[in-house]
Amino acid sequence: MTGSTTAELIPFIVYFGGVILLVLTMLGLSFVLGQRRTNKATNTPYESGVVAVGTSQIRLSVEFYLIAIIFVIFDLETVFIFAWAIAFFELGWQGYFAILVFIAMLGVALVYAWRCGTLEWGVKTRVGLEAKDN
Amino acid sequence: MLDFLWLIPLLPLASAALLMVTAGSLPRPLIAACGAGSVGLAALCVLLTGLSWAHDPVPRQMELWTWMQVGTLRPTIGFYLDGLTLVMMSVITGVGFLIHLYSTEFMEEDESLSRYFAYMNLFVAAMLILVMADNLLFLYLGWEGVGLCSYLLVGFWYRDPVNGAAARKAFVVTRIGDTAMALGLLLLFTELGTLDIQQLAELAQGKWQPGDTTIVLATALLLGGAVGKSAQLPLHTWLPDAMAGPTPVSALIHAATMVTAGVYLIARNHELFLLAPPTLLAVAVLGLLTLLLAAFTALNQHDIKRILAYSTISQIGYMFLGLGVGAWSAGIFHLVTHAFFKALLFLAAGAVIHCLHHEHNIFRMGGLRTRLPVAFWSFLIGSAALAALPFTSGFYSKDQILLAAYQWPQIGPWLWAGGLLGALLTAIYSFRLVFIVFFGEAQTEPDRQPGWRMALPLSILCVASIVGGWISLPLAEALPATQSGHPAAAVEWISIAIPVIGVSLAYLIFLGRQLDLSALVNSGLGQRLHQFWYSGWRMDALYNWLWVRPYQFTARLLKDEPVDLAYNGVVHTSVALHHLLSNLQTGRMRWYASTMVGGLIVLLAVLARAG
Amino acid sequence: MNLAAMQGLLPLLVLGLGAAVLMLQISIRRQLGWSYAITVATLLLGAAAMEPAMQVAPLQVTPLLRVDNLGLFFGSLFCLSGAVTAVISRDYLRSREGENEEYFLLLLLSTLGAVILAYSTHVAALLLGLELLSVALYALIAYPERGTLPLEAAIKYLVLSGAASATLLFGFALIYAALGSLEYAEIAVQISAGRAATSPALILMGAAMVFAGLGFKLSVVPFHMWTPDVYEGAPAPISGFLAGVSKGAVFIAVLRWFLESGFFQYSSLLAGITLLSIASILVGNLLALLQTNVKRILAYSSIAHLGYLLIVLVAAGVSPEPGLAVEAGGYYVVAYVITTLAAFSLLGLISRQSGDREYDQLSDLAGLFWKQPGLAALFTVALLSLAGIPLTAGFIGKFYLISAGVDAALWGLLAALVIGSAIGIFYYLRIIYTMTTVGEQANPGTTADMLVGSRLVVYLLIFAMLYLGIVPEPLMGYLRTIL
Repeated sequence: MTGSTTAELIPFIVYFGGVILLVLTMLGLSFVLGQRRTNKATNTPYESGVVAVGTSQIRLSVEFYLIAIIFVIFDLETVFIFAWAIAFFELGWQGYFAILVFIAMLGVALVYAWRCGTLEWGVKTRVGLEAKDN
Repeated sequence: MLDFLWLIPLLPLASAALLMVTAGSLPRPLIAACGAGSVGLAALCVLLTGLSWAHDPVPRQMELWTWMQVGTLRPTIGFYLDGLTLVMMSVITGVGFLIHLYSTEFMEEDESLSRYFAYMNLFVAAMLILVMADNLLFLYLGWEGVGLCSYLLVGFWYRDPVNGAAARKAFVVTRIGDTAMALGLLLLFTELGTLDIQQLAELAQGKWQPGDTTIVLATALLLGGAVGKSAQLPLHTWLPDAMAGPTPVSALIHAATMVTAGVYLIARNHELFLLAPPTLLAVAVLGLLTLLLAAFTALNQHDIKRILAYSTISQIGYMFLGLGVGAWSAGIFHLVTHAFFKALLFLAAGAVIHCLHHEHNIFRMGGLRTRLPVAFWSFLIGSAALAALPFTSGFYSKDQILLAAYQWPQIGPWLWAGGLLGALLTAIYSFRLVFIVFFGEAQTEPDRQPGWRMALPLSILCVASIVGGWISLPLAEALPATQSGHPAAAVEWISIAIPVIGVSLAYLIFLGRQLDLSALVNSGLGQRLHQFWYSGWRMDALYNWLWVRPYQFTARLLKDEPVDLAYNGVVHTSVALHHLLSNLQTGRMRWYASTMVGGLIVLLAVLARAG
Repeated sequence: MNLAAMQGLLPLLVLGLGAAVLMLQISIRRQLGWSYAITVATLLLGAAAMEPAMQVAPLQVTPLLRVDNLGLFFGSLFCLSGAVTAVISRDYLRSREGENEEYFLLLLLSTLGAVILAYSTHVAALLLGLELLSVALYALIAYPERGTLPLEAAIKYLVLSGAASATLLFGFALIYAALGSLEYAEIAVQISAGRAATSPALILMGAAMVFAGLGFKLSVVPFHMWTPDVYEGAPAPISGFLAGVSKGAVFIAVLRWFLESGFFQYSSLLAGITLLSIASILVGNLLALLQTNVKRILAYSSIAHLGYLLIVLVAAGVSPEPGLAVEAGGYYVVAYVITTLAAFSLLGLISRQSGDREYDQLSDLAGLFWKQPGLAALFTVALLSLAGIPLTAGFIGKFYLISAGVDAALWGLLAALVIGSAIGIFYYLRIIYTMTTVGEQANPGTTADMLVGSRLVVYLLIFAMLYLGIVPEPLMGYLRTIL
């Protein structure tokens, strides 16, 4: 590598070294300076002073994740609608139709999710599977 | 019809593909119909092509498509149609169809009927490609195709290892010639930048003077290919062994068509060969030597098919002689007539063998004249044509060759004399065969008579063998004319008389017994000469001693030796590396991810070094 | 967004609309036959939409996509390949219980991603296409739930693919940092304007990371480890899609990015690609050598084939006349995609009713020639084509590649190609040999109950492979005009 490129890389190397140094310093300092006690509460997780109850390994129903992901998706899509709304006049009719198509797609997706029973908790009434569930 | 030229090779090819894919699951009559019918249709197409071509007999080139175009290499799939092509196509499909028809009865009881017809059809397709190709690369495809089919059909009854060995020998020996030919093609391509036959001829004439070293070398290499395929000295040893295949195969491939491919190759590239007088001389001399050597050998055989095989070698020698002395049309003419009468002879021999419990030894036959009349008359007519008795087809073609040889400057008369000696021998050995097999006392009784599917092709070929000499072939455009002028009448008379003398001699020796040669034959020298000729001038032994044994010895010597070690080393290294690398495929994702990171680091390092 | 642009993007619109219709169909009434029909119709329409789109080409639609002959041609190739996968999958899924409609939806979306890749002229479009292609594939790989293998394969692909995408993004970020653009054409301008000279190290590191990321998708050594595991676990039609369409699309995207952004000017980058190529060829072929699982063999063979394809990039970079190399690359991709689809189609078709395990062991193929000659013929032609035996598409592709390599004087790469091909012949022929042995293997799938569509596809694939080997010139000429 030529000299100039090496020079160019120096900030990176310094940055990389800095990161390592910082982490080592923090861990090292807390190791050296930190107190060492073996009380009953030492190894329990810190929950803002509240005593933890029960185990953290609860089984969540898979529906929880489904609803969550659907929420995230549709929630995020509003961002695009916001972006369009801000530039409403600049985009004109073309933008209007574009967002219409976009919302229509969202609608189709919603219909699909709904009919597949994604939005229901517990017993599903999915299309085509009624017989099986009963 | 001229626009549908591609249909002609396609028909047998499609039939071959069908028979191969169905692998014998079709009903047997359908297999036979498919096998023979496709060739029959092709023959019909050739006939139509010939008729429409006759209206406007100019050579034409038909480019179907370009295989690929990479740089200057631009091999095309195209056909070239002129008189020569048409003659060859007619022979291949016409005689081919008759032999296919004959096969439907001959092979009736064979369990691998489908395989047989698949190979035969494939052969016809490849042979058609060979003669129709407009460039040497496409021709080479057909050339290798017929070689492959020959291999497959010689070893058709593969359960007997002897047949397998014969097939292998045929393949290896012709391969030597093919290699020479491939080198010739490469040389021509590097020198002239094309493989189109017509362009080659033009460019070569512009580039070289007659006798230039390069063109002599190139044609000599092509000659090597021709010699291998056409079983000429010194690569003729495979043909007698190739008789291990079914007899119709011998008739089609090893007599009528494939073995004449070398003759075709030389005739097709005659412009190149005319630029190389030394090669032409070699063609003539090789032809002469081969025809004599094979004739002597044929005289001493007792296997009916081997006699015919040696006579084929000998007759192709005549064709080479004709080409070498510039009698181009006569050479091709002899090719055609030979295709008729030799196919006839083989098929008749096949009928004899078929009806005689697969007996090959002529001394265990005899007296079949009345018992197998169809075979007898066929054989008689075929032998007459082979011996070139006057007014048979063989007479006209052979006569033309001999006269042309006589007129050849310098050594012409010598070539002529040698050819005459060969003709004498031909007459003797062919009628020796007739007299021993069909006259005298019966040794074996035939257990059946040939049916119509065998008799019909025989009858047609009988007619063709007689009248074949009166056909005038449309070769005037395609091949240069033979030099005109008639030699002395005596020369002609001698040419006519020689076969008659030969037949008479054969009669005296083998049938009339007026001429007793037993004393001569039984003398020590006679015995040794007989043995010598019987073994084909000990060529097999010579090659065995000269090439095969040293090769095997070297192979054995090197079996555990350094050279082999290197090859084994490659294998061992590959296997070791395989195991090493396989062990890296642990199936663990952590490891996979780390190799990716490692790979990235290496890549970055390489870039850093190189940058 | 005017009318011409709509016309140019018609293939994409058709595919998108098809996906929406399919979703509605599933929500209204679940019926596999309909889903299948909609999918195949959409894919065929998408391929046919190339025709009207070609009339407006070349056309830049937004900085992200460009409608040109290259993109359209390969876009329709991927659509057709998707259709082939759908047809084979229909047969493959027949014995599977439960909902299979989403399978086709995912396939449609994945194909859409591949088509976008072929159009991309911007980093954003590249990423969009790549993620659309991959995300749908994660689900498809795990779809059949036959044992634990598919799940394992999907998880591996998901996690490693995520890592690769991150690397890719980081690479693009570095390039952006150095040149200030994500658009290929703009990058090329910047590079030739000499702006790159101020920070070549950044660009090179960026390019290397991009190659690492895309190399993962192409399964180029050393980013290849996932390939056999994933192919083995995925349902056979999806393995074919993964190996054929996914790799083909990514390669076309790489080719565009590499050539249109002007990165081929960096000789050190070419050295790096050379190294990757040689490693892929040798490692891929060596790994396949004694493998007994046919899917793994095909996976390793695909690694080697991508190694061969990388030669195109180097040749295009080195040679003063890159046309030949690009043509060779185009032809090779076509031949490779068709051949790969054919090979995996066979595995899909014989594994139709194989229970919880696919018939992907070498011993499962024993005697196939005698039991199902048609399928055996398909596989034989495909293997011969992969091995590069004359009169098949693979031979012409390899020949083309070699002449491009010779043209650019890349002797090291050519040596690797020759050695690799020699090793390759061994294991390809071994499979063919196994098929001809008279085995007593239980193999319940028969040709008799194959669907008409599958039968048609089998014949079409055989025909395509032979046609491209015997009459390659039309396609060659076509590629010559469009590239």
